[in-house]
Amino acid sequence: MKYLGLIWRNVFRKKMRTFLTTSSIILVLVLIVILASLLQAMQADPSGGRGANRLVVQHATGLGNFLPLSQRQRIEQIPGVVAVSPETWFGGVYKDDRPENWIGQLTCDPDIYFDKIFDDATIDPKVNAEWKATRNGFVAGETIAKKFQWKKGDHIILKGTYIPLNPDLVYVGSYNAGDESNIFFHNEFLNQSQWFGANKYTGLYYLKVDSGESVPRVAAAIDKMFENSDAPTKTLTEKQFQLQFMEMMGNVKFLINGISLIILFAVTLIVANTVAMSARERITEISVMRTLGFRRGHILGFILSESVLMSLLGGILGVVIAMVLIPLLKMAGNKTSISVWLINFHVSWDTLVMAFVISVGVGILAGFIPAIRSSQRKIVDGLRQVV
Amino acid sequence: MAVPLKYNLRNLVARKASTGMTAFVIGLVVAVFLCVLALVQGVTRTLSVTASTRNVLAMRVGSQAEMQSVITRDQAEQMQSMSGPERNAAGRSYVSPELISLINVQREDGKTFSNVQVRGMAPIGMEIRPGVRIIDGRMFTAGTNEAIVSKNLSKRFASMKVGDTLKTGSFRWVIVGLFDAQGSAYESEIWTDVHDLQQQTKRNIYSSVFVRLPDPDAANSFIETIKGDQRLKLEGKTERKYYDEQMITGAPIKALAFIVGLFTAIGASFGAMNTMYAQVSARTREIGTLRALGFSRRSILTSFVLEALMLSLVGGALGLVFTFLVFNLFLTKPTGTMNFRTFSEVLFNFRLTSSLIAGGIVFSLGMGLFGGFFPAARAARLKITSALREV
Repeated sequence: MKYLGLIWRNVFRKKMRTFLTTSSIILVLVLIVILASLLQAMQADPSGGRGANRLVVQHATGLGNFLPLSQRQRIEQIPGVVAVSPETWFGGVYKDDRPENWIGQLTCDPDIYFDKIFDDATIDPKVNAEWKATRNGFVAGETIAKKFQWKKGDHIILKGTYIPLNPDLVYVGSYNAGDESNIFFHNEFLNQSQWFGANKYTGLYYLKVDSGESVPRVAAAIDKMFENSDAPTKTLTEKQFQLQFMEMMGNVKFLINGISLIILFAVTLIVANTVAMSARERITEISVMRTLGFRRGHILGFILSESVLMSLLGGILGVVIAMVLIPLLKMAGNKTSISVWLINFHVSWDTLVMAFVISVGVGILAGFIPAIRSSQRKIVDGLRQVV
Repeated sequence: MAVPLKYNLRNLVARKASTGMTAFVIGLVVAVFLCVLALVQGVTRTLSVTASTRNVLAMRVGSQAEMQSVITRDQAEQMQSMSGPERNAAGRSYVSPELISLINVQREDGKTFSNVQVRGMAPIGMEIRPGVRIIDGRMFTAGTNEAIVSKNLSKRFASMKVGDTLKTGSFRWVIVGLFDAQGSAYESEIWTDVHDLQQQTKRNIYSSVFVRLPDPDAANSFIETIKGDQRLKLEGKTERKYYDEQMITGAPIKALAFIVGLFTAIGASFGAMNTMYAQVSARTREIGTLRALGFSRRSILTSFVLEALMLSLVGGALGLVFTFLVFNLFLTKPTGTMNFRTFSEVLFNFRLTSSLIAGGIVFSLGMGLFGGFFPAARAARLKITSALREV
């Protein structure tokens, strides 16, 4: 610690050089934090890992094919099943088809939905009770409700797409959960309207089982039960269900990870070059220090610390800038087709830790070779060298 | 009088490590930039190529994608009786009512699943799309649950070779042929007979009606006719316009390319700037000598800028080499991304065009210019006396 002053001074000896190097670290860290947060937002598990006891039953052929409502009772009778709610993706258009007006619209059975299935969401019991009693009522994730500034009693009209209905719904209140991009309204609302699926079909079944051990057994039992029926099913855990959408993004994840790795490598080279240049210019000085009694270990430590200090400095500034930029990007991105992925776009603790490890790692990797070369040089050789 | 280029070249070679590292960094940045742009190019081409301005696509009013549109049997019959569509040699008019469905199928690796679009069409639908041709096997026969798939899909998913039976849920198709759609969006689809698909999905409806008109003007007036028909309640678009609107899928990737390109380019130019500043300070006496010999400030400036440009050009060339390596080692198979409008996978190939390659070189020179100018200006501003006095 007593050498901190010396190291600090050496880092800022050539201000221009340190400024340029630190700036490139900042740029890269900003980029990496943004990319990592984006990837995380796309993979976000809405329940934050607590949804392990929930299953989603979809048509074996894939989304977009309906399941008969008659399956509900049979699923409910399987031992270990706590509650089952039919759920339909309404997929209507709110206001207009601009991406910033996108909302996830789902129908469910309000009598059990927040009480027994989506129980890690928090909803005011009064709001929940009132919603159950309001046939045309809907509840919304707080983020969405705030975004559209809905107040209790507000009406919204959704324009149906593949379900040819235009429901007029009343806002009752909001809920809080990991994923607040959706609104929920009553299954009965669809069942009492005129369309081909009324009282006949649902998009999915969303259900809760009593324990983690029941998950594979119940999933297998459901799929077996309907295997040879008109509507065979595919039962997935909530996490697998989410991953299905991520999977469709295809190689985007691979691409983002690849880009991150390459630019990290590039910035390591930039820092290494800087540290090497500065060590080269100080060959005589370092030999003088050795003559004064500093050991090889000291020299190694100094150069390595300079490198780490510089990249840590860049890393911290980079993270701060990224944290300022991300809300701005989120605002800009809300107008594009990826707005749905951006709802969970923020810098998480995991990302912060990762950024810290990366900064230190870049510093060590970049400083390693110059530090070893400087510390291994013989005093006489160093003193003889003309710079 | 200009400082000979050989002077700069030798200087670059003399400091191998520093030059090499900087060029390498520029190379990496150029490679990343080119790969991302090649991706954007690929997506754009997929959604724009072969889309015709003579083909009209009719959907329910307000639908953004065929997936979301519902057309009844009556509406489809009305469309079929409308005048205007072109006829083939046998006198049949080019009208194809079509149904779109999504199926969840297993990838070729056998581990993961993805959603693929199935298009049911009238057999004449094939003739409506002259850009599409069968390259293996034969066309499907209506009424037998046969299907054809694009060659790209067949590479990416399991059970999609000619002769395979594709099973998903209660659906079954025998694959009888592979088609090539010149890289268009149709390469992400499975094609089968529309009535077969209606039966398998138990949906007695259509998603869209495709019509081929004799020329683009006729197509536009046909769109007006659809709009004017109060009973029909449908909306027409040319095939070109429909896919242009789907291009929104590429927008986030373009934004990503722009941000990544900008940030890494500035970072790399800072690296180059560092190297050049170090060169200038290490060669202060040399610069003083050059000035004393009679080289003007302007020639010193030009000389150092040229040195930086040479450095970045080496980097650019390295970048091209990296890009070609990546292309030939990793990007040989078609890639997929999600079409946000249809929730299905669109396949595309990364495309490295000659204008992209030129762009990559210009990009590297830009980094060199930006990174070299300020150090060169410092070199040019040095006073002869103080430069020569420098140790």
